[in-house]
Amino acid sequence: MNSRARNEAIPIYLALALILLFFALPLFWLLSLSIRTPAEILIAEVRIVPHSPTLQNFVEVLGNQQFLGYLWNGVTLSVVGAACACVAAAPASYAFSRLKFPGKTQLLFAVLGFQMISPLVIMLPLYRYMHALGLTESHLGAALVYAAVAAPIATWTLKGSFDAIPEELEEAAMIDGCTRSQAFLRITLPIGLPGLASTFILTTMLGWSQFIVPFILLSQPDMLPISVGIFNFLGAYTGSATQLVAAASVLSLLPAVVIFLFFQKFVVGALTAGALKE
Amino acid sequence: MTSAVKQGPRHQRSGGGRRGWRFDLDRHPVWWLFPLALLLTAFYLYPVLEVVRTSFTDATLLNSAYSYTLASYRSVLADSALPQIWLATVIFVAGSVIGQTTLGLLIALTLEAGFRRRLPGVRTVQVVVLATWIIPGVASAIIWQLLLSEANFGFFNAMLGLFSLSPVPWLSDAKVAIWSATLANIWRGTALSMILLYAGLKTISPGLYEAAAVDGATALQAFRYITLPRLRPALLINAVIVSVFSLNTFELVMPLTGGGPGRSTEVLALAAYNAVFHDFNLAQGSVLAVLMLLLNLAFTAVYWLTSRGLR
Amino acid sequence: MKLKPGSRLFAILLSGLLQSPDVAHAGDLVAPDRIGRLDAPKSFSFRVLTVHSNNNAQPKFAARMAALYEKYAHTHPDWRVNIQLMSLQIPQEHARLLEQARSGTAPDCSAVDSFEVPLFIRAGVLQPIDQYFTKEEIDDLFPFIRPIVSDAEGHIYAWWWTTDLRLLYRNMALVPDPPRTWQETKQAAMAAKRAAGPGLEGFLFNGGRNETTTVDFLPQFWAQGGKLVDERGTPVFGQEPNKTYLLNAIAFYRDLIQSGASPARVASISNYDDLTAASISGSAAMMVNGDWAMSQMRAAMKPETFAKWAVSMLPGPTADQRSTASGGWTFASFSKDPVKVKACMDLVREVYMGPATEVLERLPTRQSEFNSLPMFRTDFYLQIKQYLKLGQARPGLPIYTEISNRLQIAISEALAGTRTPEAAVDEAVDQVAKAAARYQ
Repeated sequence: MNSRARNEAIPIYLALALILLFFALPLFWLLSLSIRTPAEILIAEVRIVPHSPTLQNFVEVLGNQQFLGYLWNGVTLSVVGAACACVAAAPASYAFSRLKFPGKTQLLFAVLGFQMISPLVIMLPLYRYMHALGLTESHLGAALVYAAVAAPIATWTLKGSFDAIPEELEEAAMIDGCTRSQAFLRITLPIGLPGLASTFILTTMLGWSQFIVPFILLSQPDMLPISVGIFNFLGAYTGSATQLVAAASVLSLLPAVVIFLFFQKFVVGALTAGALKE
Repeated sequence: MTSAVKQGPRHQRSGGGRRGWRFDLDRHPVWWLFPLALLLTAFYLYPVLEVVRTSFTDATLLNSAYSYTLASYRSVLADSALPQIWLATVIFVAGSVIGQTTLGLLIALTLEAGFRRRLPGVRTVQVVVLATWIIPGVASAIIWQLLLSEANFGFFNAMLGLFSLSPVPWLSDAKVAIWSATLANIWRGTALSMILLYAGLKTISPGLYEAAAVDGATALQAFRYITLPRLRPALLINAVIVSVFSLNTFELVMPLTGGGPGRSTEVLALAAYNAVFHDFNLAQGSVLAVLMLLLNLAFTAVYWLTSRGLR
Repeated sequence: MKLKPGSRLFAILLSGLLQSPDVAHAGDLVAPDRIGRLDAPKSFSFRVLTVHSNNNAQPKFAARMAALYEKYAHTHPDWRVNIQLMSLQIPQEHARLLEQARSGTAPDCSAVDSFEVPLFIRAGVLQPIDQYFTKEEIDDLFPFIRPIVSDAEGHIYAWWWTTDLRLLYRNMALVPDPPRTWQETKQAAMAAKRAAGPGLEGFLFNGGRNETTTVDFLPQFWAQGGKLVDERGTPVFGQEPNKTYLLNAIAFYRDLIQSGASPARVASISNYDDLTAASISGSAAMMVNGDWAMSQMRAAMKPETFAKWAVSMLPGPTADQRSTASGGWTFASFSKDPVKVKACMDLVREVYMGPATEVLERLPTRQSEFNSLPMFRTDFYLQIKQYLKLGQARPGLPIYTEISNRLQIAISEALAGTRTPEAAVDEAVDQVAKAAARYQ
C-alpha cells in the first residue's frame, strides 16, 4: 500500500514542482527586490540574492504610518464589498438557476454586460454620479461600488454552484410544505456553502486589487486601500524606491492570504459529499 | 395519501396565481432578482449608460460642451490601425483564456489530488499561485520588466545564454512582443482560473470516481468521461470571466510595451486609455469601450454555443 | 543573548512597527496628512506628489521635508494644511484633478505636472498668482518656463518650482571626448564597441512607447530649429522645414541601430532606470539620461568606476545646434478664496521655491538659486545651469500629449522597421491634424 501511495504521489509532486517553477520564480525576484539596498536596486547583473541583503525596507514600510492603514482599508473595502455582492447575488443566482422565466438568458448576459464596460472609461462618469449622490470621499460609497462591480461575477459563479446542486433536495422539502425561499435558506445555501465561500473568496480577492474605484472616489490618504496606497511607495524616476514597493507588496500579501486560507476551509466542506450520497 | 391531501390545497392556492399573494415570492423571479437589480441600478447603471451615451457624442476632457454625432464611431471604425488593434486584442485574450484555463485546470487537478491524499506542501503551492494574483499590479509589472529585459543581464535571456541559446527580442520585436505580454498576463491571472475550476471540481461527487475505479477505468478515462463533462459549466464561466478581465486590463501591457513596438501590442484597453488620456477624447474612449463590450459579448456567445454544442 | 534567526526577524519587524519615524519628532505641528496645528482656525487642502512631501517613502527625505513644513507652520500659526497625496500616474491623476476641478471639489492647492498646466489654464480652473511673487523672482526663472505657465496676456497660473534636463552620459574610459554631433556620437559608439568587445552597447536611449522617448527625442528636433506647433497652437511639424527636421532626427536614430552603434533593443527601452542599470553594469558606453541619474550611479557604483563617468550636453546635428528637454513640477491653486490662494502660495514660496529643491536634491528653476543655494555651487550643477539656458520645454498646449503619443508611435515603428520613417511621420501628422480640429 505504501509504495502504491508513493507511486501516486510522484506525478503529483512532479506537477507541483513544475507549477512552482513557473509561478514562484518571478516571485523570488520580487523577494529579491525587497531585500536590496538602494545601491543594488537597479538590477545590473543576474543575481537573485544581492551582495548585501537587508531587511531595512520592511522596517521602513512598516514604520510608514499609513501603510497599516492602507492594508486595513483594503481589507474592509474588499470584504464588505464582497459580502454585499454575495448577499445581493445569491437570491438572483438562485432564481437564474431554478426558476424559469422569459428573458432569463438575456438578463444573465445583461448582468455580465455590466462587467464588460472598461472600468477606465467609467471612471469619470462614476465620479460625477457619486458626487451628485454625496457619496464621494466615503468608505460607504466606495464599498457599495465595490459591491456593484463584484455582483455580476458573483451572480455567474453562484449560479454555477447552485446548478450543481440537485433540485430533488429542494423539491422534497417543498413537497413537505416548505416555501421556496425556506428551501433556499435551509437547504440550498448550506449545501452550496463551498460554492458560496469560493465566490466570496473570488470577489474579495478581486476587490483587493480594485484600483479605479477607490482612486476616483477617495482622496484622503487615511481612507485609501493598499491598491492605491502602494503607489505612494514608488519613487519618481528621479529617485526610485522600487525596493520599498517590493517590500510593501510582499507585506501586503499577508492579509489577503489570511482571508483566503480562512474561507478556503469552507470550500472544502464535507457537506457536499454527505448530502449528495442520496 | 397524506401528500396528496397536502398537495391539494396548496395546489389550489398556487394554481390561482392572483390569489396566492404569499407565494409570489416563490414563483416570481422579481423578488429574487430585486437586491441585485437594486445594487446594479443604483451604483453601476448610470456610469455605464453614460459611457454608451458619450460614445454617440464628440465629448472631450477639454471642455464641457459637446454635441451628438456619429463622427466618433466613424473615426474609430475608419482608423487604419483598427485591424492591428483587433489582432493584438484577440491574440492577447484568446492566448490568456487558453493559457489560464489549461494551467488553472492542471493546478486545480493537482491540488485536488494532493489534498485528497493529504500530501504535505500542497497548500503552500496553492498560496504561491494565489500570491501571483494578489500582489499589486505595479509589482507584477516590475517583475516582468526584469524578466523580459533584453539587456544582457535580463533574466530570461541570461537563462537562455546559460544553455547557449541566442537571446530573444521579447519586447522589441513587433511579432514577439504580444506573446510576451500574453505570457505575463497568463502568469498573473491563472490563480483566478485555479479558484474557479477548483470550486468546480469540488462539486463532483467522489462516489462517481469510486464507482469508475471499481469498473476498472483509468485515471485518464475518469477525467474524460466524469470530470470534463461535469466541469463544463465551470469551464464556461471561467472562459467568460478570463476574457472579460483580459479585455479590460492594460496594467501589464502598458508598463511592458506601452502598446509598442509600433502598435503591435496596443490592445483595445490601451487604445481606450490613450484616447482618453493622451487625446483627451472622451467620446473616442467611449466608442472603444463599447467595442470592447461587443467583443466581450461575442466571445461569451462563442463560449456559450461551444458549450451547448459539446453537450 | 543569541536569538534564533526567526526571533531576530520578528524583533526587527516589530521594531519597524513600533518605530516612530522622524516625522513625529516635528511635534504636533506636522503629521503625514497635516501641516500646522489641528485646531488652527483656517485651513486649506494641498495635494502634493508623495515624493515631494513628508510622505516620501525614503525616511531621510521625509524627515527633511517635515522640517521645512515645520518652519512654515511656525511662521503661519493660523493655518492648517490638509495634505493629500498624488501618485506618479500622471494622466489618471490629472484627469481626476480636472474632473474634480469642474465639480468644484478640487483641492485648494495642487501639484500639476509642467506639461499638463496648459490644459488646466485652458479649462479656466486655475487662479492667477502673479501678485504673490516679485517681478525679480519671475524674471529669474529659466526662459523656457514663462510661456508654459502663462496665458495669452502674460498672467501666471502655476509656479514651476523644480525642473530637470537630459544629458549625454559617457564612460570616459571608452569615450574620452564628449561627442558634439550625431556623426561623432555614432563614431564614438562604434569605437567603444571595437575597443571593449562583444557585449558592449555603444549608445542607449529611450526608444519605446512612453513619454520618456519623446522627451529624449525632441532635443534633436529642436536643435535644428524645428517647431511642433506655431504661435497659434496649430501643429506644424508636418510642414516643411519641420518635417525634414523630424525625418533627419529619426534618420539619426535609425542610423545608430543599423550601424550597430545602438542595439535594436532601444525599441523596448522606455524608462530611465533601465538605462541607468546598463551603465551600472558596465554594458553601456554612452546614454541619454536625466540629471538625477548621476546620484543613482554614485550610490550604486564603486568610486573608481563612478569617477570614469562624465556628462555633457546632448549632441546635435552640428556642434552649434544643441538643445535639451526640461520637464518638472508646478503648484497651482484652484480655490476661489483669495486668502487661501495666498496661504497656498506662501507655502510654495517658503518651502518649495528653493529650500525643497536642495533638500530633495532636485534642480531649482531660478537661475540665481544656482549661485545662492550651497548644494548647487558645484561644477556639475554649474554645468547644468548653462545647459538649462539652452533647455526647451514641451509646448504649452493640450494637444501636446496627442502629438507626443503619435510621435512615440512613429519613432517606435521606424525603429522596429514596421514602417518607413516617411510613412510613420505622415500617419502621425494625419492623426494629429484630426485631433487638432477638435481642439479649436
